[in-house]
Amino acid sequence: MPLHSLKLGAGLATAITLLAMDSAVPQVPGPFTAAQATAGHAAYLENCASCHNRTLQGGGEAPRLIGNAFISSWGQRGANELYGVIKASMPLGNGNSLTPETYQQIVAFLFQANGATPGAAAFTGESQAKISSFATGKTPAGLLDAPVAAAPAQRRRAPVTQMGLVVTGTVKNYTPVTDEMLTHPSENDWLMHRGNYQAWDFSRLKQINTSNAGSLQLRWVYAMDEGGRQQFNPLVHDGTMFLSNNRTNTVQAVDAKTGELIWENRIGPVVDNLENATRTMALYGNLLFYGATSATVHALDAKTGKEVWKTVISTYKNDKVGGMTVIHGKLLVGLTRCDDQSVQDHCWIAAYDTQTGKQIWKTLTIADKGTPGGDSWGNLTNDQRAGADAWITGSYDPELNLTYWGTGQAKPSRRDERGTDGDALFSNTTLALNPDTGKLQWYYQNAPGESLDLDEVYERVLVDHGDQKVVLEVGKTGILWKLDRTNGKFLDLAQTVFQNVWVKFDKKTGRPTYRDDIIHQKPGVALASCPSPEGGHDWPATSYDQPDDLFLIPLSQTCAMYGAGSQLFYEMPGSNGNLGRISAYEAKTLKPVWTFQQRSPFLTSIISTAGGVGFVGDFDRVFRAFDVKTGKTLWDTRLGTGVQGFPITYSVDGEQFVAVTTGLQGGSPVQKPATMLQEVHRSQTGQAVYVFALPKQH
Amino acid sequence: MALTVLTRLAGLAAAAAMFCGSALAQTYQANLGPMPLDAATNKNMLGRGEATASWDGKMLTVNGRFAGLPSPATKAHLFVSPYIGVPGGESFDLTVAPADNGTLSGQFALNAKQAAAFRTGRLYVQIDSQKAPTGNLWGWLLPQHFDAPPDVPQQAPWFLPQLDTPSR
Repeated sequence: MPLHSLKLGAGLATAITLLAMDSAVPQVPGPFTAAQATAGHAAYLENCASCHNRTLQGGGEAPRLIGNAFISSWGQRGANELYGVIKASMPLGNGNSLTPETYQQIVAFLFQANGATPGAAAFTGESQAKISSFATGKTPAGLLDAPVAAAPAQRRRAPVTQMGLVVTGTVKNYTPVTDEMLTHPSENDWLMHRGNYQAWDFSRLKQINTSNAGSLQLRWVYAMDEGGRQQFNPLVHDGTMFLSNNRTNTVQAVDAKTGELIWENRIGPVVDNLENATRTMALYGNLLFYGATSATVHALDAKTGKEVWKTVISTYKNDKVGGMTVIHGKLLVGLTRCDDQSVQDHCWIAAYDTQTGKQIWKTLTIADKGTPGGDSWGNLTNDQRAGADAWITGSYDPELNLTYWGTGQAKPSRRDERGTDGDALFSNTTLALNPDTGKLQWYYQNAPGESLDLDEVYERVLVDHGDQKVVLEVGKTGILWKLDRTNGKFLDLAQTVFQNVWVKFDKKTGRPTYRDDIIHQKPGVALASCPSPEGGHDWPATSYDQPDDLFLIPLSQTCAMYGAGSQLFYEMPGSNGNLGRISAYEAKTLKPVWTFQQRSPFLTSIISTAGGVGFVGDFDRVFRAFDVKTGKTLWDTRLGTGVQGFPITYSVDGEQFVAVTTGLQGGSPVQKPATMLQEVHRSQTGQAVYVFALPKQH
Repeated sequence: MALTVLTRLAGLAAAAAMFCGSALAQTYQANLGPMPLDAATNKNMLGRGEATASWDGKMLTVNGRFAGLPSPATKAHLFVSPYIGVPGGESFDLTVAPADNGTLSGQFALNAKQAAAFRTGRLYVQIDSQKAPTGNLWGWLLPQHFDAPPDVPQQAPWFLPQLDTPSR
């Protein structure tokens, strides 16, 4: 082919470059009726507002559906395209679950909320009119505050029985959890999120080993309430397993050996939306702490399930309980879903008295004007600073008496929407705090001025090599960071998946440099992001196999064209369509040891054991045991739906068990693959806890 | 996957050499997967493919095949992208079979800048189709390397495309 065939333009870049539009475009009636929009408002509140906010401002991973962000993303696309996307994918994870009429009404409401004038013809989902030809992004005054009649129920909801302590019983042989137990947990228990203060997700149990793992059998299963975001980490103490589900905010105690229910407290509220994930609870003394979706911490008597105290940690809109752990008799809690640009909605980490629920200290994760780091937000007022959610539980070094927490991205995620190209402290930062006072000992910002919803909030794993004390973390970019945890000094990094967001790193400080088009981003122009906001690494946590000094990482391999109000997903270059990867690195050197790829992504944390066996579950319902030294599969089985959450292992009466939850609604790690893996079909029900063990000796 | 993944190279020694991103590598490979999609468009972007590109210092020869498109292919292109994984604007036309399954090919003389883009993995193959006129499949041409088949663990080193990240 001759060289003159070279041509310019007309490629994908043009196709997906969504031009910002002038909000002063003359108005023509939109392709919908006023009655549709009114009905759509109610349907929106019923089905969409829990994620996208009553005011359509978005939040978390849910994009803004109003204003310039919406128009710049959707203005040049047809009304039918918006309808198609919403109908096929919403409510998140339950696309096509509403009637076509309801979807049409919701879209009509979105048009009206973006300044479109209703017309005479009803919207049928077929109009190809450009949205910018009839919508401006300007919301009619008073529209969102107008009283709205309740929408008729559109979805079948799981039956809800009476609330409160509906099953009574008493846990036998329960011993109060002490500081010593938390510092040196028994291998028979799984006392806290990720197993120990160091966040290892490792167990010293070795009854199940590489020789016998192939004979694992299902021992018991317990069905859980459907709904909610099931990403749960059961806890086990003295042979009792504690479970929770955040659709009904139900907490249960179950005999960990037999699966017999001991007590059940249906705390409520019952929420028929996705809300926020509740990943774990915490134990201390005789108390079990649960963070309900009402931003309330409930302290229950672990033996009976009776409520001892409760504390509302935030009354601001959609705020939720994030990470949770107990240190020195203080319940440390991170606040999350701080989505609004408001000084009242700044995220924080706080400590509460475990006996009374009274707050002891609170440390903001947003640097306000006049405080250290406050100038990193440029000229933004305190009301314009948002994000830095503390949604993942921190780790703790008892010797240094420091607790290590990560924070999420600044909000809005994109710099052009945020209005500053500053570093935005303390977003996407490693924080080292004194757990007794909340005082910030040091910080290291892993992703200064991040712009593509690529969190660095995840588990901070504490590892010692001789005298060297390090903290390891992998963020959404897939960069494995290694810091000196005594002072926050950067030591090293490794790339674990392909990434094209950062073009280089300062070798002394680790500070990354962004691609030019990210630095100079323009409103309405989608940016290529590898990894996607699904993350190379996300909430499915890593494991540190201490005997082998192996750091085991569940990874995902998707990319996205990331716009202000829309995302398009694609496979990561070099992945050959394998969206899931596990990679093992030597923790001391960060050298790669083995990797394993498959089509479906992994949706659980990894746990490793002294028996040399690791466990992990995936999107396509497979729960797997593997050899931690080689990655070779030793055993696998398929469960009812996606295997999602935090596996654990424990021992009762000398017998080792492995437990894992199935679940739905895993956020980005589910949404992106669900759009891409069209050949994988999963049940939209089936939340449960499954427990496995070696064959019984009769 | 509908097609076997790209040609495997035997031996980890060869893989190790390629992992280092040797500038001397002359043959590159691409696995073609769906273009950026969402829930409304994903059904128009099914299919898979593979391509290889060989550079003799003067001419670049591209060959490939694809299968499983939801609608017949209409055009194929070789794009130059600013970074791996980032859509580009400058392109060459490839010859493509107007069918759901078929082959593609092309031969080009590259200037120095384009040759540098090839060596650094910044060329990608794109196939358009009737139902996806702005792109159905694409894939970046990366240095030929060994990948263990899906579900089989691979011992280090393994291939990860690099930008300017410190390599190890």
